[in-house]
Amino acid sequence: MVLENYVILETGVPARLHFTDHVIMRRTTTDPLTGEPTTRNVLVFEVDRLNGREVFAKYSIMAEKHAGQFKPYLDDKSYRDYDIIITKIGEGFRTSWSVQFIPRS
Amino acid sequence: MARKSRQVEVRLVAEYLKKEYSKFTFITKQPLGIVSEEYLKEFGWKKALGITRPFRPEVDAVVILPRYLLIIEAKVWSIVNGLAKLPLYKSLVPVTPELKQYMPREVIMELVVGWTNPNLEIMARDMGVRVKIYCPDWLGEVVDGMHKYWTREYRAERAKKLKMREYYNLE
Repeated sequence: MVLENYVILETGVPARLHFTDHVIMRRTTTDPLTGEPTTRNVLVFEVDRLNGREVFAKYSIMAEKHAGQFKPYLDDKSYRDYDIIITKIGEGFRTSWSVQFIPRS
Repeated sequence: MARKSRQVEVRLVAEYLKKEYSKFTFITKQPLGIVSEEYLKEFGWKKALGITRPFRPEVDAVVILPRYLLIIEAKVWSIVNGLAKLPLYKSLVPVTPELKQYMPREVIMELVVGWTNPNLEIMARDMGVRVKIYCPDWLGEVVDGMHKYWTREYRAERAKKLKMREYYNLE
């Protein structure tokens, strides 16, 4: 098992993940533009597999549009039934995330 | 009236996919079209993807069905725009490198909307697009607000709200 704290996506590089659990946390960060502290809701997944390797890591989502791609799967935790390939596209305000759901057989 | 920044369409498509296609592989926010060979050679795959990002439209979802590749666009506000985009997106599917592994498959198109009208149905039929209505309770509220948007009462209410924002210097 590989110990990693957080999964960081590289732009344009797909990462295959499997999530086992999630939590929504309040987190205070520094706004990159104003330099002021700001408190946001963050969706954090527990990751047990990353690109075929066993890991013990977290995948953290701050962007509402990215979190929305998982919203229907949170209540019943049905994301556990999928392998999920996430590709980060672009940077800054124009960032989007292509998310592929592959049912686990 | 719901703000567009509530990411209503992201939620709409995510829920719809779970309800209708949860047994299949699907991709949300898939960029379509070629990645310039010139950029690939000069900058490599990752950087080329970033550079070509503004020129590659994103389809809301692609579902990999055994014989078909289904492209889905979900719209709450500009539903005709969603319909018009689909045939254009379809033309880009065969040249999209990320989808190459799933070809050859026939490409079919689906427009997911919270509401429809007879003219939309006529146009969709003519363009070979299936129209699917998906309107859970939370979306019903949004659609309702949208239909009221230009009514006298709603405009008056909005003007009052804007005035208050100005009064409290919230703008």
